[in-house]
Amino acid sequence: MAKYIAQILVLGTQVIGRAFARALRQEFAASQEAARRGGGGEKGASRAAANARTGITVEEAQQILNIDKLDQEQVNKNFEYLFNANDKSKGGSFYLQSKVVRAKERLDQELQSRKQETDP
Amino acid sequence: MRAVPGMSQKMSETVKSLSQLDSSSFANSKYYKGGFEPKMTRREASLILGISPTASKTKVKEAHKRIMALNHPDRGGSPLLAAKINEAKDLLESGKS
Repeated sequence: MAKYIAQILVLGTQVIGRAFARALRQEFAASQEAARRGGGGEKGASRAAANARTGITVEEAQQILNIDKLDQEQVNKNFEYLFNANDKSKGGSFYLQSKVVRAKERLDQELQSRKQETDP
Repeated sequence: MRAVPGMSQKMSETVKSLSQLDSSSFANSKYYKGGFEPKMTRREASLILGISPTASKTKVKEAHKRIMALNHPDRGGSPLLAAKINEAKDLLESGKS
């Protein structure tokens, strides 16, 4: 009786252990991928970290706000328009408005970090 | 033990600086976080159109028309948002029939 319980416990632990190891490996690979996408080096790492933290990449933020060249004025202009267009009082979608907000946040962050590089 | 009173002050300062660090007034607020999901779900689609996930086909169509009018790319809307709105409508309509 006890022998069977012991066997089940051991098997269970092995299964969990293997799944955990696999999850760790996947997580490592994913973070390597994200770091590579960030463009390598210290700046790339900080960009990948910001992407992970905010849950949105610079590319996606640019697409949401329809920006091809990162310019603060253009960001603000497009943001104003899209934010007001999707206002709930006008029957707009709050979810879309949120994405517009998060996109602007991300681009502001990116512009800020770029500014910090050029004039420290 | 002796460090505790100093620590509590440090904690409150850190919390305050953290909330300021989140720059604009948007970060700690009610807005949904993050970007779009990598693969659109029914839940996201219903949120995009601002309707219930169990809304009827006519409601989906009506919501799509309304939201699209606000975000039309020809009138200065963003192409990505327009694409997401269309994708949301397609997903909800296909899921019904």
